Formats: sequence, structure tokens, C-alpha cells
Amino acid sequence: MSAATIALLGQPNSGKSTLFNALTGLRQHVGNWPGKTVEKKEGSFSYQGKDYNVADLPGSYSMSANSDEEVITRDFIASGKADVVCILADSSQLERSLFMLADYAGISVPCFLILNMADVAKNQGKKINPAAIEKKLGIPVMLFSATDKNAYDQFYKTMERAIKEKAMLNVTSLEQEYKKVDGYSEICETLSDAVIPGYTPMWLTVKAMEQDQVVTAKLRNTLPNGIQKTVEMFVKQSQGAIATGGCKFAWIDGILDGAVSESKTKAKLGKLDRIYTHKIWGKAAVILTVVLGLIASFIPALPIMVMGMGVDSVNGLIRTSLTDAGLSAFLTGLLCDVLIQGLSFVIKMLGFVFGVTLVFGLLEEVGVMARISYVFDNTMGKLGLQGKSVMPFLVSFGCTMGGAAGARVIDNWGQKVLTIALAWAVPCGAAWAIIPMLSTVFFGAGAPLIIVAILFVMILHMWITAKIFSRGLVKYEDKCGMIMELPPYHKPKWGSLMRYVFGRTKDTFFRVVKVVLLVSIVFWLLSYSTSGTENSILYKVGVTIEPFTKVFGLPWQLFIAFIASSFGKEGAVGVIGALFTGGGSIYQITTSSAVTENINQILLANVSRPEALAFIFAITFNLPCIVALAATYQEIHSVKWTVRIAAYYTFTALLLSCIAYHVGLLIW
Amino acid sequence: MSLNEVRENTDAIINELKGDARFISRITSIGLTPGCRVSIIKNDKNRPVLLYSRDTMIAVNRKECAGILVSEVKA
Repeated sequence: MSAATIALLGQPNSGKSTLFNALTGLRQHVGNWPGKTVEKKEGSFSYQGKDYNVADLPGSYSMSANSDEEVITRDFIASGKADVVCILADSSQLERSLFMLADYAGISVPCFLILNMADVAKNQGKKINPAAIEKKLGIPVMLFSATDKNAYDQFYKTMERAIKEKAMLNVTSLEQEYKKVDGYSEICETLSDAVIPGYTPMWLTVKAMEQDQVVTAKLRNTLPNGIQKTVEMFVKQSQGAIATGGCKFAWIDGILDGAVSESKTKAKLGKLDRIYTHKIWGKAAVILTVVLGLIASFIPALPIMVMGMGVDSVNGLIRTSLTDAGLSAFLTGLLCDVLIQGLSFVIKMLGFVFGVTLVFGLLEEVGVMARISYVFDNTMGKLGLQGKSVMPFLVSFGCTMGGAAGARVIDNWGQKVLTIALAWAVPCGAAWAIIPMLSTVFFGAGAPLIIVAILFVMILHMWITAKIFSRGLVKYEDKCGMIMELPPYHKPKWGSLMRYVFGRTKDTFFRVVKVVLLVSIVFWLLSYSTSGTENSILYKVGVTIEPFTKVFGLPWQLFIAFIASSFGKEGAVGVIGALFTGGGSIYQITTSSAVTENINQILLANVSRPEALAFIFAITFNLPCIVALAATYQEIHSVKWTVRIAAYYTFTALLLSCIAYHVGLLIW
Repeated sequence: MSLNEVRENTDAIINELKGDARFISRITSIGLTPGCRVSIIKNDKNRPVLLYSRDTMIAVNRKECAGILVSEVKA
């Protein structure tokens, strides 16, 4: 039983996530709001022996019904599930960031105000008097810096005070402003506290005047017809959101008057921003930042990857000792091939997730992410995505699992799913190891042409996939262009960031292991054979459906290698070698990436050029690997969409294979 | 004139917002209201317009800019 539930409410860049991570550390849970495609973040912490729950509320700049996030946020608050709402504002831009507080005003739930980024404001020469603001608002107000460890004690005290006093925001002066707007008083009088529980008539009136769709619909259902008509008539006459917006900012000006001594900050771009926003060099600078970030991420990733290799190397020892102990080949295989090999596979890739989560988290916290959004807004907008989506794409050239993990910086669920779905089309490091090798073997000096063709198809693939998937994922209202703030750069809070990264990596590990082991067992059983490969189910199915797979240009050996490549691309070439020479376990080769010595001769002797071309396209655009699949599920929390994306990729890979094969037949 | 027509390094005052309720709500919630003074920091083709207003650097997509009518202020 917790002492109280605190809801965190704030605009983007108000430091909400930093505060949430700092408060809850590893005690957090990420899921979806019931029946919605919006991420739900909850956590808990203890203070002086009492447990508190924290909900990190989604949303953007206001409490209007502009998105699912905003509706969820205000419904959660009005439902009374939170005992107190902690509203965050950015001290360095109070005039603008107090808008959330003004939009909140009129919801009947206790709250307190945190003026975050006090350090940034101080550096700008602003002097803020929280006591003066507190007096005008009637709720606890404190200056705070989420990156300052020593500030938290004061935070807890302010929070407890708000809970104890059940502090309600004083809205008298705001209502005075609203009363100046034509029609406000008339509408307000027709409404009572009971119309929609949790919201005052003032709040409802303002939202009705702003033509808020949800409120308008609810009023239509609850108000008697006559009153309803009066309301609609006034809403039509009034200037709506422009007038109420003006009132809110006038109120904010009144609050800040005398409480903030302004040393006017100049509107100038810093050195770094002049580079990032440069017409020509901006994109290059962003890509360079991401690439350098990725390289840097290998430093913390390396120990984890080495650990994975360590698991791999003891596997042989375990296998020998198990066999010596007389354990059956079936059980030994299950233990060594599936369990240990699978763990090693996941741990190796987990290093990448750790690195990417850290670097992306850092870029976001420091403020670079907003610049990336700005630079790529136009390009990514064509795909129905935010500018930030460029980052997961770049990461996916290294590892699709890292790309999927990096997609968490995209705050809209549909756009996140779409980003990951497109990131799958980017050939990963393992594919880049195979493509040049196969291309050189079969096409010699023509190999660079194949690589150019792959990149061209990749872009086409992403464009078409965006068209197909965006219909179900990206709503019309999410497509509207960027209106966002570029926050001032600020220092990261390392402790909170690291705890978040560790928590995230841990979560990913457990969920991914589950999926990987499950699929591994199935694949292992299919490829299990007591002697050679010819007893396995995979072989039998492959041979039986060969007349069909030949249409795609894939003889059974290549088709099985294609199936194996959806497990992990590293081993695809090794599998072909094993199948043509009839030796070795398909499963072990798939997961170990061992390659037969004279693979070149084997390939040239058995595979025609059109078939090779078909195969290259088939594995490049097949689903990236089982770990990427699991990571995708971990990020988007939807079995339906994960399966959809996977099935789509299997299908399109075969389609591309078929096209490549028939083009190849025409050439050779 | 609309916001995307303002030259770089010029100030402007917002006169009028044109668009549906959703657009108005989004644009006012970030602090751009009629009467508000903005400084245009960057205005490159194919990029959002960068402006400074209410102590904040704000990026606004070019299409959305069309709904923000302003008049230039002589410095």
C-alpha cells in the first residue's frame, strides 16, 4: 500500500523524464495504457519509510485533445488516481513554459509547481523568487534543478507539503481574464461542477471555447438541449483558442510580474547550433554526431560483448563434458545449442543496446536530439515520421536491435512502430559482411554495382513500406508539421541516466531472451537430425517445396539458408556450405557463423548467377534476425504489429528475390 | 505576410492565426499568440523556420508558418 500517487506533468524538455528516472531509478515499469497505443510509465520510490507511486504522464505542450497522449493525461488526472500532480516548468523560459500550469488550472486535483532548470536560469542571469509565485498561486512552488543531487530533499518536502495541505491552485485572477472574453460568463453559468467530474465549469468552458473535440462531444451528451444550443452559439461567436490563449499568457505575465528579475536573454544561436542549423553542413554534422556517438557507444558495449563471447567459448567445454558424462545427444544439443548459444547471442547484441540507449539518452538529455529533429524534419516528414527517426535508421546499419532500442526516443507510438518497421529494411552489419563477399564471388568486378543496387532498393523499400504501414499507424493529426522548442543545452544527470540505461538494458535482456529461446527451440527442433542434415524436418520440407521456391530463384539449399537467415544473417553462407557438402548441423552453423574453407568453389559449382542474385536480395531484405525481432516486440509492446512486420518482411524478401532472379535470367 | 516570408534577423509581430482549432491550439500552446513579438533566427528553404520568442528558440514547420500572419518590425 503506497502513501500517495504522484503524477508528473510537464511540457517536452521540462526535465520530466530526468526527474522520473531520478525518483524511481530501477523501480519503474513501462507498458501501454489499456486499449491505447500510448506508452505508460510508472514507478515507485520510498521516502522516510513511506512508499510513493509515480506516473510519468505523456503529452506535449498543453492539455487539449490534440492527441491520445493529452487525453489520457487529463483523464488520468481528473479521475483522481493521483493524489497530487507535480507540474514542471522550465525556469529559463517561464513565460512560455508556465502555459501547462495555465492549461491545468481548473482541474480539481491538488498540485505543486517545480521550476526546473534553475541552474540554466541562473546562468542566464535570471533571478526568480519562488515565494512570490507561491503566494499568487496558492500552491507549493520551488526552484529546482533535477541534475543537482542535493535538491531532492527539498523536492520531497515540497511534495509532502502539497499532499498534506491538498493544495489547490488559485485561479481567481485567471478567471478574471477569461471573463473579459465574450461569451465566457454566459457559457460558464450554464455549467455546473457535476457536468464532468474532476473538471470545474471554468476549465470546461475554456475547452468548449477552444472547440476541444472531446469536451464538446461530452457536453453534447450531458447538457440539456436548450443549454447545449446556447453553448454552441457562444462558441461560434467567440474567438476560441486565440482569445483563451491570450488570457493564459496574460495571467502568466501577472504571476511573473515582480517575481522574476529578467536580464533579457539575447536571441542568438550558439557556435554548435550555427553548425547544426547550417543549410549545407547541418545534415553532415548530425550524421557525424550520430556516428561518433555510435563509436563511443562501443566503449561501454565492449565488456558486455566480450562477456557474450566468453559464454560462447565455455560452450564447447560444457558440450564435451556433457557428452563425456553420457548425456544424450538430444539433451546436450538442447542445452548447448539452444540455451547457452542463445544466451551468448543475446548478450553479444545487448552490448549494442546498452551503448545505443546510453548515447541516445545522453543526446536527448543534453538537447542535441531536438536539433536532429529540426535538421531532418523535412526529409523524414515525407515518410510520415519525425526528424528524430533518422537516428534509428543510422544505427540499423550497425545493428537492427540497436536501431529498435534507439527508436524509444520517438514519443509517438505509431511513428515509433513505423520507424522500426522501416529500420528493418536497412541492411545491418551482418548483412554487410555477407553482401560484398557473395557479390565478389559471383560478380567479381561487378560487386560494387550490386551494393549500389541494394542501397537503391533499400530506399525504395523504405518509401513503399512507409506508404503501406503509415495508413494504420500514423494518424492524420500526427502528420502535421513540427512545432517544437529547441531547448538550451544543459548538463546531463549521469546517475539518473545510468540507472535508466541499466534498467532498460535489463528489461530488454529478459524479454528478448524469452522470445529468442522460444524461437530457437522451434528452429532447433526443425533442423534437428540424428545424422547429417537429411533427417531434419527442415530438409524434408525444403526439398518438398523446392518446385515452389524455385520460382523465387531459390533451390532448396538456398531456401533453407534463407529461412536460417531470419534467425541470424551471420550464418547464412555457412549454412549453404554445409547443405551443399552435406555436413554439420544447420543450427550450429547458423548461430556460429563458421564458414567452410573452400566456400567459394562450392558456391560457384552449385549456384547460378541469377540464383546468387536472388539469394543476396532475399537475405538482405529478410527480417534482420531473431534478436531484432524480440527487441522490436520489447519496444512496441504489440504482438500483432511485431508479427505483421515480420510476415511482411518475409514476403517482400521473397518477392525481391523473385524479381532479382528473373532480372538475372534476362541478363545471364 | 506569413511567417515564412520574413527575412532572417528581422523581428515581427504576430497579427493573426489562421487554421483549424487544432492548429490554433498547438501554436498558442507553444507561446505564439497574436501580439507576440518574434525574432526570425533562421529561414532556410526546406527547413523549419527558427524563431525566438518568449525566451525560447522555436522551430516551426514551413507549412504551419503559412497560417501565422505577421508584420515586420523595423529595428
